[in-house]
Amino acid sequence: MNVQIQAEKSANAGMDVAEEFVIETRNVDVFYGDNHAIKGVSLNIPKHQVTALIGPSGCGKSTYLRCLNRMNDTIEGCRVEGEILLDGLDIYASGVDEVLLRARVGMVFQKPNPFPKSIYDNVAYGPRIHGLAANKDELDDIVLTSLERAGLLKEVQDRLHSMGTGLSGGQQQRLCIARALAVRPEIILMDEPCSALDPIATAKVEELIDELKENYTIIIVTHSMQQAARVSQKTAFFHLGDVVESGPTEKVFTSPEDERTQGYITGRFG
Amino acid sequence: MSFYPLLIVLLLMSAVGYWFGSKKALGAVRKSTNFITPRPHQFGLYVVIWALVPPILLGAIWILMQVTPLQMEVGLSQQVNRVLFPVIVLLAAGGGLYFSLQKIGPDLKVRKTIEGLVYIVLILASIISILTTIGIVLSLLFETIQFFKKVPMSEFFFGLTWSPQTALRADQVGSSGAFGSIPLFTGTLLITCIAMCVAVPLGLLSAIYMTEYASQRFRSVVKPMLEILAGIPTVVYGFFAALTVGVFFRDIGDAIGIDIVSESALAAGVVMGMMIIPFVSSLSDDIIMAVPQSLRDGSYGLGATKSETVRNVILPAALPGIVGAVLLAVSRAIGETMIVVMAAGFAANLTANPLEAVTTVTVQIVGLLVGDQEFDSAKTLAAFALALVLFIVTLCLNVIALLVVRKYREKYD
Repeated sequence: MNVQIQAEKSANAGMDVAEEFVIETRNVDVFYGDNHAIKGVSLNIPKHQVTALIGPSGCGKSTYLRCLNRMNDTIEGCRVEGEILLDGLDIYASGVDEVLLRARVGMVFQKPNPFPKSIYDNVAYGPRIHGLAANKDELDDIVLTSLERAGLLKEVQDRLHSMGTGLSGGQQQRLCIARALAVRPEIILMDEPCSALDPIATAKVEELIDELKENYTIIIVTHSMQQAARVSQKTAFFHLGDVVESGPTEKVFTSPEDERTQGYITGRFG
Repeated sequence: MSFYPLLIVLLLMSAVGYWFGSKKALGAVRKSTNFITPRPHQFGLYVVIWALVPPILLGAIWILMQVTPLQMEVGLSQQVNRVLFPVIVLLAAGGGLYFSLQKIGPDLKVRKTIEGLVYIVLILASIISILTTIGIVLSLLFETIQFFKKVPMSEFFFGLTWSPQTALRADQVGSSGAFGSIPLFTGTLLITCIAMCVAVPLGLLSAIYMTEYASQRFRSVVKPMLEILAGIPTVVYGFFAALTVGVFFRDIGDAIGIDIVSESALAAGVVMGMMIIPFVSSLSDDIIMAVPQSLRDGSYGLGATKSETVRNVILPAALPGIVGAVLLAVSRAIGETMIVVMAAGFAANLTANPLEAVTTVTVQIVGLLVGDQEFDSAKTLAAFALALVLFIVTLCLNVIALLVVRKYREKYD
């Protein structure tokens, strides 16, 4: 299955220009018990671009993000309605294996959460589970490539077998990105990946996001308007569980159509 | 005057003191120019302290003198005692009352005195529990030294036979007594091992189910039910083991042609394991819950299933804590008495076969001290030596377990 994904990816590499949606969502509703967290969101995510989800706290952007790899399944009392299509297939249809889905749609969390294992084992975790490497050499190769892509290899090359939890916050977050890359996902979801990092580490992660969009579709939730403007090509503004406005980042930030968007990005509320 | 009227008089005196104290304080406080003064009831308490503490202290000293050898030297007759004791106590109370009532005024540091008393009471409480522990250890130690004067250490620690029947009279035959403790410790080890084989897998797996798989509702119903197991008196486990499980195993043995005695180590061990299940499961439950949710999310986010997450992330992260929990459970099992007394019996066999009867250290201690005994025979003293060794073993296990658990706790806080 992963070989297939690889093949698909290389086939599409040359035609980035044409807008192609990798995820389409139609009328998505999410309930936490009686709480209606997301109200009929329809949004399309373009392939090999960075889509930023912005909005005030509690507006449902993280909830929406967690629908895309069915991480909400692990929360008790959470119910998702509507259609979420990944490459045209409904990921909430019965018979879809959410575990395999999460291998295709990787996730990076708000707080760096490396496992209390060595750096090597952290990155090798996914490949080992999914049997992506036939032998030790292949596994080494995957680990090193992933660390390289996450821009961490140079810093940790000589201590691959020391604890991943011993790295600095920014390095830990890039380790988590490397860990996600090692499973060869098509899409990477990032839930405020820089909120626990200092400006220098943030700059590194942002640079990394910019490089990664060549090969991956990235959806990033962020509270920082500047970050959304810097890294994303598409922006969706969430407000009270609804998408108020979405479109090319430049347009959303320079000439928003809705006055709530205008108010939020100019700092008048939220 | 006997004790109870004395007590009532003392309480009455302090009540009167409280009333007068608060009343006098009310007047004094009104006249005071200070902005903040203690409240009247605090003055009242102050008087009560003065009325109660000196007589209680004196009374305690008096009673101590009665029970210690000092009494013989002082040589007061019962009659004198009867009169002198209440007089001294009442005088102390009256003196305290008078003294404290005199001192009441707006500048008296009443709250400091009350705070001081609270401090002393708290310290006393902890000192008493520590002293008790030390007392227990010392009493064990002295009797053990007595024992080793009668029986050589080498016999106790390396001897292979245990039959503590010593001759009561010189002309009795055949009861020389053998105090080799090895069969007892191997018996304890065997039963503990069986118990852990039952308790650790069942307890750990049920903890994993409770924390990772069960829904909130199921958990809130079943977890308390599991913990009821911990509330069953061990005697009840004991006759469950002796009358139900032991017989059941023996019948199974009969059916498949193996000889299982009804007082087998297996029955006692299995039931003891059941008793320890809630212990293991609720400790591991806490430890597994302490593994941060972010680690689970990280693992699920990489496409791991629940069991892969448990195996590869949660258990390794929780392992030190689980080891600590198991060690605590082991020391619980080693010290457990009632189940083995009822189910395993007294035969000190040196065997590793769980289908035979064995005995444990605790059972033998019970056996040695039950019934009429003289407290200077080797037989009785042996109980103290066994108890001391048992105490040291469980103490070490507990210390190791607590160190392991604490080291683990530091990691995520």
